[in-house]
Amino acid sequence: MTDVVFPTLAKERPEAEGVVSTWFVDDGATVAAGQLLAEVMVDKAAVEVSAPAAGVVHLLVAEEDTVTQGAVIARIT
Amino acid sequence: MSTISTTSVAREPAQVLPPETRLDLYEMMVLSRTWEEAIQREYHADKGPGFDIGKGLIPGEMHLSAGQEPVAAGVCAHLTTDDAITATHRPHHFAIAHGMDLRALTAEIFGREGGLGHGRGGHMHLFDPKTHFSCSGIIAEGYPPALGMAFAFRSQGKDAIAVAVTGEGAANQGAFHESLNLAALWKLPVVFIVEDNDWGISVPRVSSTAIPNNADRAVAYGIPGERVEDNDVEGVFAAAGRAVERARKGEGPSLIEVHTLRMLGHFEGDAQGYRPELPEVPDRDPIPRYEQQLLTDGVLDAAGVEHMRASIRERVEDAIAFAKSSPTPEPAAAGSYVFA
Amino acid sequence: MTLTEAPVTAGQTGSHRLSTAKAMVEAIDLEMERDPSVFYLGEDVGKYGGIFSSTLGLLDKYGPSRIIDTPISETGFIGLAIGAATEGMRPIAELMFADFMGVCLDQIYNHMAKIHFESGGNVKVPMVLTTAVGGGYGDAAQHSQCLWGTFAHLPGMKVVVPSNPFDAKGLMTAAIRDDNPVVYMFHKGVMGLPWMAKNPRSIADVPIEAYEVPIGEARVANEGDDVTVVTLSLSVHHALDVAEKLAGEGIGVEVIDLRSLVPLDREAILRSVGKTGHLVVVDEDYLSFGLSGEVAATITDHDPSMLRAPVARVANPGIPVPYARSLEYAVLPRPDRIEAAVRKVLGA
Repeated sequence: MTDVVFPTLAKERPEAEGVVSTWFVDDGATVAAGQLLAEVMVDKAAVEVSAPAAGVVHLLVAEEDTVTQGAVIARIT
Repeated sequence: MSTISTTSVAREPAQVLPPETRLDLYEMMVLSRTWEEAIQREYHADKGPGFDIGKGLIPGEMHLSAGQEPVAAGVCAHLTTDDAITATHRPHHFAIAHGMDLRALTAEIFGREGGLGHGRGGHMHLFDPKTHFSCSGIIAEGYPPALGMAFAFRSQGKDAIAVAVTGEGAANQGAFHESLNLAALWKLPVVFIVEDNDWGISVPRVSSTAIPNNADRAVAYGIPGERVEDNDVEGVFAAAGRAVERARKGEGPSLIEVHTLRMLGHFEGDAQGYRPELPEVPDRDPIPRYEQQLLTDGVLDAAGVEHMRASIRERVEDAIAFAKSSPTPEPAAAGSYVFA
Repeated sequence: MTLTEAPVTAGQTGSHRLSTAKAMVEAIDLEMERDPSVFYLGEDVGKYGGIFSSTLGLLDKYGPSRIIDTPISETGFIGLAIGAATEGMRPIAELMFADFMGVCLDQIYNHMAKIHFESGGNVKVPMVLTTAVGGGYGDAAQHSQCLWGTFAHLPGMKVVVPSNPFDAKGLMTAAIRDDNPVVYMFHKGVMGLPWMAKNPRSIADVPIEAYEVPIGEARVANEGDDVTVVTLSLSVHHALDVAEKLAGEGIGVEVIDLRSLVPLDREAILRSVGKTGHLVVVDEDYLSFGLSGEVAATITDHDPSMLRAPVARVANPGIPVPYARSLEYAVLPRPDRIEAAVRKVLGA
């Protein structure tokens, strides 16, 4: 099992919160390593999140939910 | 004689050009003038009674370049047909000096199928891929595409350069300034030519331009600027030679302004009531002046002049005859060429 | 292509889910890989990746000689693109906002669009002019316009307006490969940007390999027998939302996504209205003297008796897009106005 973590975009403010703007995969989908999973945003900075491993992805947060940097947003089994 | 407005290299004394070069310059100016005189003749032949601009075999506006031949001859002497030129609503002298086929050019002026654009463009919209020549009726807007041609040549690894021509009135248009900045910034192989013929239609330069010399604008863009006075074809030749060499060596663009002479009106039918010096204009014709110089220098003799002029007349009348015998386009085909 | 995923290359098959913006970028990427004469220039298209993510990630792959940041000189760099196109390259020039057409329209409509014609077909201008359009996020009168009616009105340039990721990629590929100048107008609200409210249809599956959507062909986005809604761009999403809602009441709304304005797929319009007899045109551009009148005229030029009710046109009534949200949303062709128009033509 691998965690997919919300990246730290605002390094000076580790407690900063952001959102998952877009999920590019459905809950339960099979993903390849490196596949685009999501686009996330903190303040005005947006970044892509890719799958750290292959497997089945389980989404833990919904789009537009507030998420802290470093939080686990999905798991791949 | 020319003045360089930026701190560039020390000027060498005016060089004496080889006789063949001087003869070529003279011949090119005579060819351009002879052709235009024929066009002028044909243009006015059937506009009467009075002057109806839409009438006759050559309807529409006609902007003739009599008096400005030295600019075209002096610049084009350094170009091959691989080099691009973008010109203005007054394009003929550059088209001819750059080697455009006279028949295709003339037929386009007459709006015939055998013309460069099959009669679709007319005299202000001449496009010749064989010589990479194009022109536009919108003031200053020929400058930006010249940048693109230069960009393409460089991307394609070619030695070719682009020459962009416009008038002194255009030097106040946005496109002029955008083009100089962008060409300088990207060091594009472009030569910018400004033909200062004193008049933007009826508005004299002193009433349109805040400074007396557009070559002085070059420094604002970090490029060399030179002004050539006296409509001097050999002065143009020298300045253009420097600018073309810079461009070919990858050193970027230059600006050359030539003080030239518009001998006729802005367009045919322009009475030029706004132009007080009109009576003296014929005396300032650059072609008889250069001819006299060459005769004095022994580069030309009277027989040679007559022989050259006769041969040119023949070429010109051949082109006129070709145009007149070329079919007029079919109305049903009006929409051809909108899209490729 | 995306920043994190392994780059897409020719030969891969299958599909993946992308936003409209990423699909547009993928099309450009695949063509740039295939054809070295393709390059992209405009303001902030380099490191920034385009203000609306039109070139995100491309600079890293192709470098500054092919993904080029320009000065604020639209006449200059669009003219440059034109000149380069006439000499055998395939430039993509970005006009950051269609609203900026005023500062460079001469190069666009008097040069880009006319050179092929004036030259009697001897000179081609195979370039793409991309531009962001549309409102709904408070950018007011000078940064929210659509203006596709104006571009479509002027002869000599093709005009395409994708509404979704699949069409965004396919139309971009077709536009780059077309030997004519193509104006590619992308609505900011369909791009699927993380920083702008988005309709779920802005994220969708897209084939990984290169493909073309033919220019000049509309698409039936939803089939229905009762009323035809002809529309484009973001309004397609709204029309589909309305169609979904009215299906629940047994009203069949056929939604035609035009996808191209030049050429205009008049056959598709005629086919649909021939079936339903009722026409609503939804156009975020200005009402008068534009696209919606053209769509109506397509019917009346052919056979006005096809219509069982007058045509309803839902458009910006000719008001500069207001800043205040309450006002902006009153002039935009939102779902409530679309639904009202459908009910009106059906007498329902």
